[in-house]
Amino acid sequence: MSTLARYLIQGMLYAAFAATVGYFSNAPTYRHLGADDALVRLSFSHAAQRVAPCRERTPEELAKLAPNMRAPLDCPRERSPVTVELELDGRLVFRNVVAPAGLRRDLASTVYWRQAVAAGEHRFTARMKDRPEGGFNFVKDVVVELAPGRVLVIDFDGTRGGFLFRM
Amino acid sequence: MLRLIQNAGRWLFYRADALFNRVFGDRLNPLYYLGGIAYWLMWLAVASGLYLYIFFRTGVEEAYQSVEYLTHQQWWLGGVMRSVHRYASDAMVLAMLLHLIRHFVFDNYRSFRWFSWVSGIVVLWLVYASGINGYMLPWDRLAQFVVIGTAEWLDVLPMFNGTLIRNFIAEGAVNDRLWSLLTFIHIGLPLAVLALLWIHTHRVPGAHTRPPWPVAAATTAALVILALVKPATSQGGPADLSTAITTVDLDWFYLPVYAALYRFTPVEVWLLVGGATILFLAAPWLPPKRRRKEGFHIFVHPDNRIIPVRDGERLLEAALREDIRIPFDCRNGGCGTCKGSLLYGEVDYGDYQDTALTAEERKGGKLLLCCATPRSDLEIEYVPVEQPGSHPVRSYTARVAKLNRLTHDVMQVILKIEGERVPYFYAGQYINVLLPDGQKRSFSFATAPHERDHIELQIRWIADGLFTTHVFTGMKEGDRLQFEGPLGAFFLREEGDKPIIFVAGATGFSPVKSMLEHAFHTGIMRRMYLYWGVRSLRDFYLPELPRRWEREHRNFSFIPVLSEPEPEDHWTGRTGFVHEAILADFPDLSRHQIYACGSAAMVQAAHPAFLAHGMSEHDCFADAFLLAPQLRDAAPEMVRLGGRP
Repeated sequence: MSTLARYLIQGMLYAAFAATVGYFSNAPTYRHLGADDALVRLSFSHAAQRVAPCRERTPEELAKLAPNMRAPLDCPRERSPVTVELELDGRLVFRNVVAPAGLRRDLASTVYWRQAVAAGEHRFTARMKDRPEGGFNFVKDVVVELAPGRVLVIDFDGTRGGFLFRM
Repeated sequence: MLRLIQNAGRWLFYRADALFNRVFGDRLNPLYYLGGIAYWLMWLAVASGLYLYIFFRTGVEEAYQSVEYLTHQQWWLGGVMRSVHRYASDAMVLAMLLHLIRHFVFDNYRSFRWFSWVSGIVVLWLVYASGINGYMLPWDRLAQFVVIGTAEWLDVLPMFNGTLIRNFIAEGAVNDRLWSLLTFIHIGLPLAVLALLWIHTHRVPGAHTRPPWPVAAATTAALVILALVKPATSQGGPADLSTAITTVDLDWFYLPVYAALYRFTPVEVWLLVGGATILFLAAPWLPPKRRRKEGFHIFVHPDNRIIPVRDGERLLEAALREDIRIPFDCRNGGCGTCKGSLLYGEVDYGDYQDTALTAEERKGGKLLLCCATPRSDLEIEYVPVEQPGSHPVRSYTARVAKLNRLTHDVMQVILKIEGERVPYFYAGQYINVLLPDGQKRSFSFATAPHERDHIELQIRWIADGLFTTHVFTGMKEGDRLQFEGPLGAFFLREEGDKPIIFVAGATGFSPVKSMLEHAFHTGIMRRMYLYWGVRSLRDFYLPELPRRWEREHRNFSFIPVLSEPEPEDHWTGRTGFVHEAILADFPDLSRHQIYACGSAAMVQAAHPAFLAHGMSEHDCFADAFLLAPQLRDAAPEMVRLGGRP
């Protein structure tokens, strides 16, 4: 093989190396979501109510405690699991009972769920129960027009009335 | 099954090696330097990354804007740097994966090699983490996809449990401090990679931590050209958490796991990645189990040392571990640099390219030390590049002190080293003259080592030879040139008492002159013959010198041989090929040593003929043998025996 031919082939092999790197560096294109789809993301972190209500300590009980520990209320640390449901156009698409975080189950319950849905008008009904007994104490029903590629975030903020639908 | 995969992998690598050897030569075959290339790409990524960091601003909007500024406003440097940073990182993954696969199929991961294997796997994952982290920084749509994907993937772990994604759930959730964290990680992880790389290679004696400069330069040039042809750009504008990612151009070197993440569940991807990691980490101890043996001992000449070899360890590895400086290059049975002689014992020759060790050589007792493993205690010999008390190779600047045209096509060039004395060398070694374009030309020392004032080179003009033409037409006294040396394993073995036959073809006389003058200077009394072959009488340069030696030293004889004497030469002496003259005079060469220096064609013709006349493989030393691959490829610059071209 002549020197020129060798150099030419060397150049071609280095070019092939560069082409391989250049191509797979951003191709082939990955389709993450359908062109006519929107994305629904249910996400919140909420500290539920305690499993038992707080009880007022009697004066005798308070007297037995060290002076710096004399809190008038005796509250159990453990919180209730959070039950959450989401209906999409009357169909239940998500239901979960989420235990509180923490070794003593005294922290917030966190929920995350995502689902691609066809763009268009949809009715969403979100329900949540954050107490040990009784039914859902937070319910919100909304109709949303979802454009293709939009993200609907369903969040929860107890201080702002419960479920928040954000786009 | 494992054996089958490994055998198939070896077959593929050997075919690719052989192909690349034909194209690149065995010293510059990139497949032999995959680890070194990965190192080099790491440095490229670090260097380009440092430049980008100067301009990168940490903020929700500033991150995207600063990267856009680099890409478009400063495309001529910042944009190129961004692209090189990205492509070097991609190429590093490619090189690392090939490096890993190569060691896997060649079974170089078990036994004592477990440490390099395991540390390599950790390095690979750290590189992945670093690269994925890097994709978050520009805060474009790809960054949005990667950040959310990472959060969703990590969130299935109990320790996060859905909390991470809260940081990226909607517009306004992200603040500037995120980039302080991401940048900190993007500096910290590569530092960890470098530290681990050092550990990874530290326990491998003589590991390649950089490829040869031509390979490094070509790799860099390829990436720079790629950066210019196809600049890396941000995707789809700045991240917008209120809209979903529909399509994205993934970097499939770093981000295939993100495609898997939405094809399977995050838990399944954890199981897949975690399972693969555990499998790779445990691979050195998985079946089929090799029965552990004690290992062997080898007696190494010329160091005269006995060293242990661990079970499965190659001879070269064992020697380097014991600080025996056996010359080597590719370490993959491709170049033949580590060729040695098996004097006693039995070995597994391993897998190698046939061009690196021919069947005849193997039959004659040669082996490749980088491939062979012992099956018994051994006695081996190698030819050192550096003798005990070595003469280190380094670069020098010299001035042309004198030019003396010895004959119609041979120039005597006297060099004086600037500011220093002549480097110590062994009679027979050579130097590489470094040309401005990075090429090298090899010339033997014509002076003996005791000549401490100057270096003499004898340079033959070669038609179309760039450097030799310059020597004859452009070079002047006072010119400067750079060279590196001393080099080569062709030198006079002073021990022993066998008569020595020197065979010189044309300017092959140069190293022979050095060896003979050294022999006379040190008082070697062995019988010495010089057979110097040229084409016709006018090709003899310095003809009186060997005749004077003959008069002054009773143990020396000079036999000139012309292959094509001209009528006007009135030649009555020996004619024909120079090796044929030797064979006519010495039908039995079993008790002689031969030093042959000339063209590869001469040496290749002479060698089997000498062997056929009883010469021991261990008593034949030739320059062209060691340089044969280069000489074959560099025919125009090659000295030729007087006779046929």
